[in-house]
Amino acid sequence: MTLQVLPRGKWLGARVKRVEDPRLLTGEAKYLADITLPGTVHVAFVRSPHGHARIRRIDTAAAKEMPGVLAVFTADDVAPLPPLASGLPVEGLKPTPQPVLAREKVRFVGEAVAAVVAESRYLAEDAAEQVTVDYEPLPAVVDAERAMQPDAPILHEELGSNIVYQKTTTLGDIEGAFAQADHVFRRRLHTNRFVAAPMETRGCISVYERASGHLTFYASTQMPHMLRLFLALFLGIPEHKVRVISPEVGGGFGQKMTIYPEEVVVAYLGKVLGRPVKWVEDRRENLAAATHAKEQIIELEAAVRSDGRILGLKARLIGDGGAYSFNTASALIEPLAGAALIPGVYDIQHYQHEVIAVCTNKSPVGAYRAVGWTAAQTARELFFDEIARDLGLDPAELRRRNVVSPEQFPYTTCTGMVYDSGTYRESLERALELVGYEELRRRQAELRQQGRYLGVGISLYVEPTAWGSEIALQAGFPFPSHDNATVTIDPSGKVRVAVSVHSHGQGHETTLAQVAAEILGVSIEDVVVEHGDTDRAPWGMGTYASRSAVIGGGMVALAAQEVRQKVLRVASRLLEVAPEDLDIQDGTVFVKGAPDRSLSMFQVAFAAYLDNRVRAEGEEPLLSATKFYDPRATYSNGCIVTVCEVDVETGLVRLDRVVAVEDCGTMLNPMIVEGQVMGAIAQGIGGALYEQMAYDEGGQLMTDTFVNYLLPGAAEVPPLTIEHLESPSPVTIGGIKGIGEGGLLATPASVAGAVLDALAPFDARIERLPLTPERIVEAVGHS
Amino acid sequence: MARVSIGLTVNGQAVSAEVEPRVTLADFLRDELGLTGTKLGCEHGVCGACTVLVDGAAVRSCLMLAVQAEGADVLTIEGLSHNGLHPVQEAFWEHHGLQCGFCTPGMVLTAYAFLQERPDPSDEEIREALAGNLCRCTGYQNIVAAVRAAAGKLAAAS
Repeated sequence: MTLQVLPRGKWLGARVKRVEDPRLLTGEAKYLADITLPGTVHVAFVRSPHGHARIRRIDTAAAKEMPGVLAVFTADDVAPLPPLASGLPVEGLKPTPQPVLAREKVRFVGEAVAAVVAESRYLAEDAAEQVTVDYEPLPAVVDAERAMQPDAPILHEELGSNIVYQKTTTLGDIEGAFAQADHVFRRRLHTNRFVAAPMETRGCISVYERASGHLTFYASTQMPHMLRLFLALFLGIPEHKVRVISPEVGGGFGQKMTIYPEEVVVAYLGKVLGRPVKWVEDRRENLAAATHAKEQIIELEAAVRSDGRILGLKARLIGDGGAYSFNTASALIEPLAGAALIPGVYDIQHYQHEVIAVCTNKSPVGAYRAVGWTAAQTARELFFDEIARDLGLDPAELRRRNVVSPEQFPYTTCTGMVYDSGTYRESLERALELVGYEELRRRQAELRQQGRYLGVGISLYVEPTAWGSEIALQAGFPFPSHDNATVTIDPSGKVRVAVSVHSHGQGHETTLAQVAAEILGVSIEDVVVEHGDTDRAPWGMGTYASRSAVIGGGMVALAAQEVRQKVLRVASRLLEVAPEDLDIQDGTVFVKGAPDRSLSMFQVAFAAYLDNRVRAEGEEPLLSATKFYDPRATYSNGCIVTVCEVDVETGLVRLDRVVAVEDCGTMLNPMIVEGQVMGAIAQGIGGALYEQMAYDEGGQLMTDTFVNYLLPGAAEVPPLTIEHLESPSPVTIGGIKGIGEGGLLATPASVAGAVLDALAPFDARIERLPLTPERIVEAVGHS
Repeated sequence: MARVSIGLTVNGQAVSAEVEPRVTLADFLRDELGLTGTKLGCEHGVCGACTVLVDGAAVRSCLMLAVQAEGADVLTIEGLSHNGLHPVQEAFWEHHGLQCGFCTPGMVLTAYAFLQERPDPSDEEIREALAGNLCRCTGYQNIVAAVRAAAGKLAAAS
């Protein structure tokens, strides 16, 4: 059996109901906050109310006297803990070490200044209010371009500037492309700062056993093994004595793929205090101090021929990194990722980009689903819409004239990405067909006569997935990325699959069980998938960047394949036939063509472990294999089309429908693929129309509750149509690509594009997102 | 802080306890009774994750104090079904109406209460009924489909 193509029988590719659901539906599932250990004490953090201030003095005496208070820790009390910094090996990137509790200065509202530990969270919060911090407020800077000016307030004085990275890269013959242009167009877009806002906030519990020196750390994290490594290093506990358990996790979307200062502090408190120490953040903390995302200022310039062919692009991407170039992947995480994907699905070989990363007095920026790419896609697609309008071309036609053609695969972009396969043009045509594009254009013209404004927005995208070492390098982040799976058949014939990828809603316990069940020829009910506990799962990087279907699926396939061979060897000795003459179906190993000559998986496994006669010389009894997978780069793609109507008097946008045609190669479970796409689309609708982290000029956070930070609800999300195209990757196991991010990568451009299309008669130009009613009314009024 | 005696019914069981007046119903259910199926997503009454039924009505247990539940009949997710899944839960399972599961108990209880009042709703009414429950994973479409299917199941069973 070659693994280029996976077998598709009863399980793989089927709409299997999720095995994890019953415990979630009944409330039995245990998330971090639901875990209570005897003797637990609780942490409340004292956080900065200022965007930028010097800390003159912290008075903890009154807080320490409060009932039930065990301790109050400030920077001096956690002196052994090193500051956090990005380890991204990119030349010219300046580090901005972040103390785990603020030392000397605070640089954003919500930065942790002190940690109060008490017998209950209520008492800890009471005492936190009694901690007095004497601040000397400093001028703040909240705009990235302002922060680049020489007279701007400086966050990290030792750097002498707020710019932590600035580099221009020229690819191809950019001057030649512009010299040949019939037209040169320019556009600027300042994308909004929005956030993952998983329904479950961050949290952790630190349990230290003094006698043995073992730390057990429960955390709502996407990457248990990475957290284990860094906690071991930061706390000086040998790694083999650290166990990280990530229990049920209520969503991550990238926000939980980092090492947070609070996590290091809580881990340390557990070690110092010798009691279980628990911290569950509240929503205000999550909005203020968990990583923010997606804010960039992108300026684009295009050299365009009269027929709509884009000859070359220049881009300037300023990433507003917030107060610290954060440890996830630094302040480059947005603009560098964005720069690599500006050409996107289009065949553009002449490209120049300037990438700038800047610190401002806002919460640090980290990963959020389609990090960097959402802003790049939105800027480019809205720009292309404008170019089409200015040339008098249909925006679909402009895309047809520039998209990479099927015969060009494998296609190497000017930024070095190798698109392995895909349905770029086909997804565009199919999405237009599904939405009834021609008819919509007729209807749009009719409605305009009546003073009604219908809009159609097209966002054609490619999505780097399968985050392994190769795609990381192609995307600009030279950091290894790979994972492991262990597949074991126990003596009674049941299957245990342990994986280093982590599920926080993605349904790995189902999809990865489908892979193992298919290859081993057993029922999914006989497979259990374990993850999230470093003592049970083999080492790996965790789940982020649409990697788990490809890497998880691939590594489980490899390990299951090896275990299958072991099963067949054992059975061949029992049945006295060659292993090649055997097959396995429904948990029965049988002789091909003679199904009566068979053994149950129980009989084979039992014999493998406990009947010494069946083992060939030197063979181990364990029916187990651990396999590593670091896939080649693969790219998913698709097209999202939005139809909306805009009320130009009130600025209200009514979304009619969103059509998504997506291609993630071989699907493990189409139901789960659709769930990923629909969820990401809803987040994209939020990003286009509602969500914005707002700060005032002084660095004060204006959006610290769900009352003023608006998430889309059921009434804001229109009917979604999802259709699949399936072009298996020629380079990954089973042809699997990934699916996690495309919806959020492409939807803001599609929704904003639809709104601006509706407003085309007003020649409305909008430079900032989200498209709030105020902005829409203003843009219409300015026409 | 002085404690107050309360008596109420939770999932059909009589409960009496001494609570601080400031303790929310959500914290009381979770911390005192160990009913952690009730989730806290925002603690300011917007996200709906903490929804429970109080005397049959869907209520945000983060905005209600435990002492206010004196004499009330409270239903949490743990009490919805004692024998397998309730039809609403089954429908969520069949229609992939959940991913991370954190909003799910509140979503299921909201849907359950809504369908008691409105057994045959339109999609628009379902969306309106769920408007106070935030989900960050699903995009709502499968939740709406699940509630629609649950209405059918309940109608068939009655």
